[in-house]
Amino acid sequence: MNIREATLDDMIPMQNCNLHNLPENYQMKYYFYHALTWPQLSYVAEDEKGRIIGYVLAKLEEDPAAEPHGHITSLSVMRTYRRLGVAEKLMTQSQNAMRDIFNCKYVSLHVRKSNRAALQLYRDTLKFSVQDIEKKYYADGEDAYACRKTLQ
Amino acid sequence: MRELPQKEANLFKQILKCYENKQYKKGFKGAEQILKKFPEHGETLALKGLFCNHLDKKEEAYEFVKKGLRHDLKSHICWHVFGLLYRSDKNYEEALKCYSQALKIDKENIQIMRDFSLLQIHTRNYEGLVDTRHQLLELRPQNRQYWIGLAIAYQMMGKPDSGVKVLTAYEETLKDIPTKPDYEHSEMLLYHNSLLEEMGDIQAAYDHLDAIEKHVCDLKAIREKRAQFLLALGRQQEAEAAYRTLISHNPDNFAYIDGLQKSLGLGNKSLTAEEEAIVVGMFQELQKEYPRSNAAKRLPLRYASGDSFASIADEYLRSMLRKGVPSLFVNLKTLYSDKTKEAVIEKLALGYLAALDKSKGFDHSGSIVEPPTALLWTLYFLAQHYDYKRESDTALGYINRAIEHTPTLVELHMTKGRILKHAGDFNSAMESLNEARELDLQDRFINSKCTKYMLRADKVAEAEKTVILFARADIADPLHDLVDMQAQWYLLEAGESHLRQGQIGKALKRFHQVEKHFAEFTEDQLDFHMYCLRKMTLRAYISLLKLEDQLRSHQSFVRAAQGAVKCYVSIFDQPDGVEPPEMEGMTEAEKKKFRSKQRKAELKAQKEAEEKKAQADQELTKKGGKVDEDPEGVKYTKAEDPLGEALKFLRPLQELAPERIETHLMGFEIYIRKNKFLLALKSLLKAIKIDAENATLHEQLVRFALAVKKAGSALSPAAKTVIDKHWNDLYKGQDLAAVGNSFLKKSEEQGSVPHLISAAIASSLIEPKNDKAEAILFLMADDKYKSTRSLESALVAQKTLRSMRSGRVSEFRAKAAEWFPKATVFQSV
Repeated sequence: MNIREATLDDMIPMQNCNLHNLPENYQMKYYFYHALTWPQLSYVAEDEKGRIIGYVLAKLEEDPAAEPHGHITSLSVMRTYRRLGVAEKLMTQSQNAMRDIFNCKYVSLHVRKSNRAALQLYRDTLKFSVQDIEKKYYADGEDAYACRKTLQ
Repeated sequence: MRELPQKEANLFKQILKCYENKQYKKGFKGAEQILKKFPEHGETLALKGLFCNHLDKKEEAYEFVKKGLRHDLKSHICWHVFGLLYRSDKNYEEALKCYSQALKIDKENIQIMRDFSLLQIHTRNYEGLVDTRHQLLELRPQNRQYWIGLAIAYQMMGKPDSGVKVLTAYEETLKDIPTKPDYEHSEMLLYHNSLLEEMGDIQAAYDHLDAIEKHVCDLKAIREKRAQFLLALGRQQEAEAAYRTLISHNPDNFAYIDGLQKSLGLGNKSLTAEEEAIVVGMFQELQKEYPRSNAAKRLPLRYASGDSFASIADEYLRSMLRKGVPSLFVNLKTLYSDKTKEAVIEKLALGYLAALDKSKGFDHSGSIVEPPTALLWTLYFLAQHYDYKRESDTALGYINRAIEHTPTLVELHMTKGRILKHAGDFNSAMESLNEARELDLQDRFINSKCTKYMLRADKVAEAEKTVILFARADIADPLHDLVDMQAQWYLLEAGESHLRQGQIGKALKRFHQVEKHFAEFTEDQLDFHMYCLRKMTLRAYISLLKLEDQLRSHQSFVRAAQGAVKCYVSIFDQPDGVEPPEMEGMTEAEKKKFRSKQRKAELKAQKEAEEKKAQADQELTKKGGKVDEDPEGVKYTKAEDPLGEALKFLRPLQELAPERIETHLMGFEIYIRKNKFLLALKSLLKAIKIDAENATLHEQLVRFALAVKKAGSALSPAAKTVIDKHWNDLYKGQDLAAVGNSFLKKSEEQGSVPHLISAAIASSLIEPKNDKAEAILFLMADDKYKSTRSLESALVAQKTLRSMRSGRVSEFRAKAAEWFPKATVFQSV
């Protein structure tokens, strides 16, 4: 498994991976927007043949009211590539870049309230903590857990 | 602005503001107010047109803009507006002309110049871009964007050295560089460095890194470039240290490990025994240092051989099976190109199974008792291993044992489905995937896979029902949401399924949707030309431009194009609709009867479908969705020039994927039908250059020769001379039968089924009404063809027999059923 910074060439396979794995999908322009605004924050995992089997799509939250922090737009690993710690490795690289390049103090993300598997990953494996519940965060009306992790 | 009285002049300024602020309705009203008093004020007329355009009144937009221009040909505003109108319709060529006119009138208008430069880069007119960018910089030298814009223009024109000069001059104008690194400035410096690298002056690029480091935020980029340059400069020891530092930050990065290997002088493809030992040692050290690195564990398997490979593989397999890593097999599969390694792995895995069954460990030593799941994952591994070898029964044996052990594991059912798919039983494969899906209804991945298998089994309706389970519930037409979200995998699978079923219109609809996505990806860059100049993310921006230039070489576009070309060719060949498999080999009278029967059934089905659709449409409209006016894709099947449509898909591939033989094989199929003999020949020659041994190529060459013969005097003497010359070069005066015979001989020597099929088709064309072609196809029954006798090739062979109206189709089917006992297509009905 090769873990490396995502390039523009990775955006099409990244979108493909996202569409296979997750219910929250985005048009290509949104991927381009990430890669062209914070090119250092997104990472991909490749298999032996160079196929993208996991990714983290990340951004900077530039809310002038809050201190600078990173935000995970989307993270997923193909089911058949689980148990290798890929998600954690992707997150580590992205979070280091948030901290080192953009001076982020923490990183945030949202999880669907019904998605127990994801919550478990973020809370237990990746050491995020639930800060808040955002009512009707998702387009279909579902609530989200707002999670956060301090970057050291 | 053309003179207007004070009051109207103010109003005119206001409506200009309205345009900038996107208040189109208000602007429209203001324009009307001016026009009441001055109905011939050209600039106001033009602006009114622009507002119409944004208010969805396209025809009026052009009418007013043109009218405005007629009244005021000397107004830069009118020309600029006309350009904006064309731009919004993506007619960039005309838009550029308008901007250029506007700039002739108002030479120093920054806004128009910016718009002009935007379209110049969008259309890759780099020479013009350099000019425009020069002028912008001269007018606004205090603005960073204009310096950078010029540097980019030079780089894209292939003059990175001029780009460097521009950047250096700009950097000299900077007085107080912030002491704390600033992200935008940092990105600019790294871009500067990338230009030095592009110029090939690695030493200069290396020295530059030292100079900029203290102003750079992205230190990882500095570290990566430094390591890479040190290696290129032959400073091995320093390179080694640099790569070791990089690895400490990310021990799972192949490029870093590769760099380390190269800096140790171990980058060659083939290693001596001594070097191999050093490489393996290097990885052992890395493993010790970074025990969580998967790469350090996996990569030595690439390089080790013999006993060393066996012992590393043993350790690797044990640890992964113990942990239960589902991707173990996929991960090792790439090693199987080396047959010795494949055999070693097989022996190891079989050994584990025997030991686990008897003594609960991976060996019989009894020293370690493995967790019960170790048996499960070993069975899972062996099932995949034998599936890879296409030994379906053995593979099924293992996977069934695994399922008995743990019936609720999703992965096992997925693999069972995969084995069945490879064996040719698409329906059972789909059922297995559906069982897997039902075990975890929350997981979209298994839903996607299941949908894919349903489409492989040509169960489109079931696939649609399944895939929308994860589409957004709040959207009126969930299936269309997949189109909006650019879910190409689904569209391609669905299109290919329709194509298999002869539903050409529906297939084309899907392929065109994928094509449209690529057009969207191209348009997406428009907003980023200016954006990236502000954000200074220039290295990423250059990657975007390069990606866009190569966009349609992407595998998804190639697949869509291949599907679409097949569809359009079949529309050309069979304007009455594609013949279903049942019709192959029928006489004309039988066909007529069959068609009329079919038409009746179709009419009935159509009526029912229309009623259903009307009802569904009504519901959809209620929910706010958009009704699909042409769900069957009729407009595509009624294309006036299907081959011309096919060419539209082919052209990007000719430009961007000329190294793929499929591009030229498709080209031949189109040109030969258009009677463009020289273009057909050109396609053949290109294909020969890529792979003269390609199976399909032979069949095409024979078809070409026969078509030339048939054309006779219709062919111009000049064309005939060219064709004869090339033909002679290829075949040295042999006649066609001899060409066919020597190809057949070679195919037999190679033991290749695809070549046999091509030889058979060629033979049936050279000597029709001869049983030789049949006999050639039956050669594949010989055991020496076993390794190339795939399910797909057997299907093609059967189809070929049918199209030759052979009397031996059922005989062939019976044989194929022996080779592929599970394949439903060969089972007698």
